[in-house]
Amino acid sequence: MRIPIVVLLAAAAWASAQETTAIRGATVHTAAGPPIPNATIIIRAGKIAAVGAGAAIPQGARVIDAQGKHITPGMIDEHSHIGAKATDLNDRPMIIGPQHRILDALDLNDEQWKEAMRGGVTTVITGPGSGENVSGQALVIKTFGDDLPKRILTERGGMKFAMGPKFPDRYPATAMGVAANLRQYLIKTQEYTASWKKWEEGDKKGNPPARDLGYEAMAEVLAGKQRVRAHVHSATDVMTLLRLKDEFGFDLTLHHSTEAYKVAPEIAKRGVNAVVMPLGPRIGISEDVLEGPTVLWKAGVRIAMHTDAPVLQQKWLRLCAAIAMRYGLPEAEALKAVTLNTAQIARVADRIGSIETGKDADLVLFDGPWYEPRSRVEMVFGDGVLLYDRQKEEKK
Amino acid sequence: MKLLSATWFLAATALAQTRPVALQGGTVLPVSGPAIPNGTVILRDGKIAAVGAQVAVPAGALVIDCRGKYVMPGLVDAMTSLGFAANDLNEPSNSLTPELRAIEAFNPFGTMGSGKYGPIRLTESLSGGVTTMYIAPADNSVIGGQGAVVKTAGENLESLIVREPAAMDLALGDPPKKAANQRQRDPATRMAQAAMLRQMLIKAQEYQRNRAANPTAPRDLGMEALGRLLRKELPGRVQANSATDIRSALNIAQEFGFDLIIDGGAAAWELRSLLASRNVPVVLGQVSHPWVSNEEIPDKADYPPVDEASAAKLKAAGVKIAIASFSRSFGSLAPAGSSKWLLLDAAVAAGYGLSEEDVLRFLTLAPAEIMGVANRIGSLETGKDADVIVLDGPPLSVKSWVERVFVGGVEVHSRQRP
Repeated sequence: MRIPIVVLLAAAAWASAQETTAIRGATVHTAAGPPIPNATIIIRAGKIAAVGAGAAIPQGARVIDAQGKHITPGMIDEHSHIGAKATDLNDRPMIIGPQHRILDALDLNDEQWKEAMRGGVTTVITGPGSGENVSGQALVIKTFGDDLPKRILTERGGMKFAMGPKFPDRYPATAMGVAANLRQYLIKTQEYTASWKKWEEGDKKGNPPARDLGYEAMAEVLAGKQRVRAHVHSATDVMTLLRLKDEFGFDLTLHHSTEAYKVAPEIAKRGVNAVVMPLGPRIGISEDVLEGPTVLWKAGVRIAMHTDAPVLQQKWLRLCAAIAMRYGLPEAEALKAVTLNTAQIARVADRIGSIETGKDADLVLFDGPWYEPRSRVEMVFGDGVLLYDRQKEEKK
Repeated sequence: MKLLSATWFLAATALAQTRPVALQGGTVLPVSGPAIPNGTVILRDGKIAAVGAQVAVPAGALVIDCRGKYVMPGLVDAMTSLGFAANDLNEPSNSLTPELRAIEAFNPFGTMGSGKYGPIRLTESLSGGVTTMYIAPADNSVIGGQGAVVKTAGENLESLIVREPAAMDLALGDPPKKAANQRQRDPATRMAQAAMLRQMLIKAQEYQRNRAANPTAPRDLGMEALGRLLRKELPGRVQANSATDIRSALNIAQEFGFDLIIDGGAAAWELRSLLASRNVPVVLGQVSHPWVSNEEIPDKADYPPVDEASAAKLKAAGVKIAIASFSRSFGSLAPAGSSKWLLLDAAVAAGYGLSEEDVLRFLTLAPAEIMGVANRIGSLETGKDADVIVLDGPPLSVKSWVERVFVGGVEVHSRQRP
């Protein structure tokens, strides 16, 4: 009897998803508590079934010996532009384009997905660029797998604001213009929502108001269903964003956040998050800015790291956290800034971000401390499947 | 008069080493030999006076407790364009300018119109442990000019200079092409680059012959400088990243018989056997910089995918290599890493097949040898300049900091913050 190959493949995939795997002996950095030396992680049906020093290995489980290794949750990059062509990221003439979705420009064949995964980054928030003051909606998406809907954790991956772009020859040409323009758009969104509410409450009599995709998208922000990811460098622009948040009440995460440390208490007071370590540590980035993540953390701000890939290669996300450690951030907080904090900021912490029972089995196995430049990714698991095995790759 | 001499005395004590220094009890990494646990390094009269486990501390020495610390030679950053104003990085008018000297644009004095009188301290480089660096014009010209080897701290500009000129600095590939295209001049292609360079070197050969025959013939500074290259008084350092450009550099060096050093060398590993057989060293840049994306490398088209294992592959083939920062000082979007991060950038290569000893050698003794200054710097050996750094942990760990930097036996930098 001939079984169609598709069925065989599907069966194999199902079997590997159902298979129980035990990884034993490693130091497990769960991001949800202190590191567990000599721990065992049990993976079943793509999820973490158990983790602990004494977790029992079920009979028939595939056992991976990881003595001397370090395991972290799959890392999450809160700000990247992979999976889309550079020319598809910005629609500058629009200035405010909340209706744009990175989903509509997504390229699953982009090599950068694989590079990210092999670097231990299993989920990214990828979105439009910062060429406009509002450039559209990001995705929270895993970096592996062929099944697009399954890969997407949420289509509401954040509305991108950018306080940078100004236009020398047209409105808005100043920081004041950018602020006023954004404020005006948010007010129009409120009015748009009110007109729909009025029509609905009036038993939908007469013609409904004209639909507008931009206001519809921004209305989700004002309703709290969507969050704001705001590209911002100067402390002045941070304060403008905080003012807008106070006026319109949206969920706000600052991105790049170069000077955010200068107004850390103001940010902390409002429960605003900060994505930090702008462009990696380069020449010209001052020691003060490099200490910024620590200053923000001490003030009580939830922080996350970003690569802005392809600006930095995604595999060095962990080094952004390591540099923050170098400038005073405790190791546990540095790890959270590339895992659990990011998942919480992106509203997907029920699925990913830590090694806890019930979460997706996205794991990275390192041959040394996760934060050291010389350490290498040895294995990457995604939804419980071994996606990358350095030993095997290098034999090829 | 009295007042004047007192001032002079104070300044002098701050600048030259007057009291011996004993760095005692640390893990000493001399680079020229194996690590010495619980070792001591004596700095005296600006030189290294002794290195070892059993070393007598001279009377009156300042003893610095280095227990738990790591003591090693100051780093040598073998390629930078630091200290250049942005508009001094390249001479835009002409792609063949062998007469230019990097030292004549080098500004270690800080921003025009501010700063205090005093010794020179290039703090950004010193904070990363770099005590010597090569400076060259940037890469927009086929022949950029003459580079120099300078220290990052010293009494004055003259005392910084270790070797000047140290090399004739050239570039092949996209950067000079792009610069030429912007100004609608030659060379527009790689073919033109090679032809222009050959023609210039032929002219230099003829010039040397003419001058030998007729010593009163008019002098030409550029031709004189190229004469030093042709007589092997100076090596030619050619920035070449693609295999095509590395091959051209090898061909032209062989044709005209000059000593060649490849800078950049992103694809050098592809030609490793040839480089080894010709004894051509490679100063690697950017290939191991985690902070540089392909997108931001100015000559992106020249780059194969970044390969962190380049250094290990070249080493295994027997090619002499160094790892450099290729830093330029133009703001926050500099295309390469900073000297400050040289050690950490290179640490990445330790995950890709290099030992810790290799990495440290490629940042110290190897570049000193490649640049012809190993008689003075690059290792902790008696008689060499007392350029020494003290780290508070293993040199390749992201957690370690350069705590103290000595240049010529004088402590020129210490870490200020906790």
